[in-house]
Amino acid sequence: MEIPLNIDWQQILLHVFNFIILTGGLYFLLYSPIKKFIDSREQYYKDLDSQANAKLETAEKLEQEAKAKIANTDNEIKENRTKAEAELDAYIERQKAEANAKAEKILSDARDRAQAEKRSVMESAEKEIIDITKAVAAKMLSSSTDEAYSQFLDIVERDERNDNS
Amino acid sequence: MSKKRKIISLAVWLGLILITLVGIFLTGGTESHETIREIMRDAVLHDKNRISLFGMEVNPAVISAFTVTGILLTAALIIRLFVIPKFKIIPSKFQLLLEQLVGFFTGLGKSNSPHRNGFLNVYIFSAGVYIFFGTLFELFGLQAVTTHGIPIALPAPLSDINAAIALGCMSYLIIMSGGIAANGIKGVGKTLKDFSLPISMSFRLFGALLSGLLVTELVYYYSGLSFVLPVVVAVLFTLLHALIQTYVLTMLTSLFYGEVSEIHKKNKKIKGVN
Repeated sequence: MEIPLNIDWQQILLHVFNFIILTGGLYFLLYSPIKKFIDSREQYYKDLDSQANAKLETAEKLEQEAKAKIANTDNEIKENRTKAEAELDAYIERQKAEANAKAEKILSDARDRAQAEKRSVMESAEKEIIDITKAVAAKMLSSSTDEAYSQFLDIVERDERNDNS
Repeated sequence: MSKKRKIISLAVWLGLILITLVGIFLTGGTESHETIREIMRDAVLHDKNRISLFGMEVNPAVISAFTVTGILLTAALIIRLFVIPKFKIIPSKFQLLLEQLVGFFTGLGKSNSPHRNGFLNVYIFSAGVYIFFGTLFELFGLQAVTTHGIPIALPAPLSDINAAIALGCMSYLIIMSGGIAANGIKGVGKTLKDFSLPISMSFRLFGALLSGLLVTELVYYYSGLSFVLPVVVAVLFTLLHALIQTYVLTMLTSLFYGEVSEIHKKNKKIKGVN
């Protein structure tokens, strides 16, 4: 039986044969290497992406750690400041106490010295009065009143000059 | 260029066209040994102009098919040896074109058949390239000598009904293989349900390419129609057919492949539910 439209099984098979050769050839020569390259590039970008994500995660972690450290440092600074302030207060108190003690000592020393000076002045004055009294009494006994008086005046003037010099 | 010089150039150009035209019509040309009816009939049936291939008398489309395959494989080999080893992460224009070509068919296969598409992608890539370049092949007008000693221009391979049937049936078998691989014997049933598919695929391809061939033959038969018009005809019936038929066949194949290779899970009846 003749097939219409000049359909020929042998030629159909020839076309199939030709197409199989073409498909195999194109697969090995073009499709496969290009597809492999496209896949490798996709993988390359995926790797880059995952690396970038990993770096981002590390950076975020580091940021968290840095923030925590900063927070800890603030606390440490506060503690140190409080401690330093306390130490400073104690030091000031100590210095004040020492200064007060020194001042009291200086005052008591000064007071002692003043007392000693006063005492020596009083003693010397008493001594002088006694000497003068002795001298007057001796004069009164030894000469007349005028002479005694003039001698007394001379003695007083001499003493005053001595005192002034 | 001055205005006077422009006018002279234009006049010379138009004069040359006119002289050539007059010459063409006065010389008359060689007499065609075939009538337009015979040419049209032969374009459809290929019962007269046959070519000898290793002792077998075959249609010129078979020679076209082998020639296209030879050209494509040679080009592929050159690309494989000299272009692909120089591929870079940031592609050059030609690399981009090749990647787009592979990416287009891979994307088409993946989008229409997401479950199973490894072999399908290779097939539609190959079929797409073959249809596109096979259709463009007729533009080159390569000559071959028939068994009667008449020189003829080689047609597009798929303008022959045998080539169209071969590709249509192969596509159907590929679809069936996808069904078998995914669903076993049920896949065969699903594919056989669309028994008209190989016929529709074959004749769509054949009809589309044959119509282009017939119009082209008609235009080239009359010398009066051989000016300007062939450019439009070539673009319309060759370039557009090449693009449209490539897309249609590869898209239909991947669509049906995806349909038959889809795995259907049984809906288990839940006990206690009426």
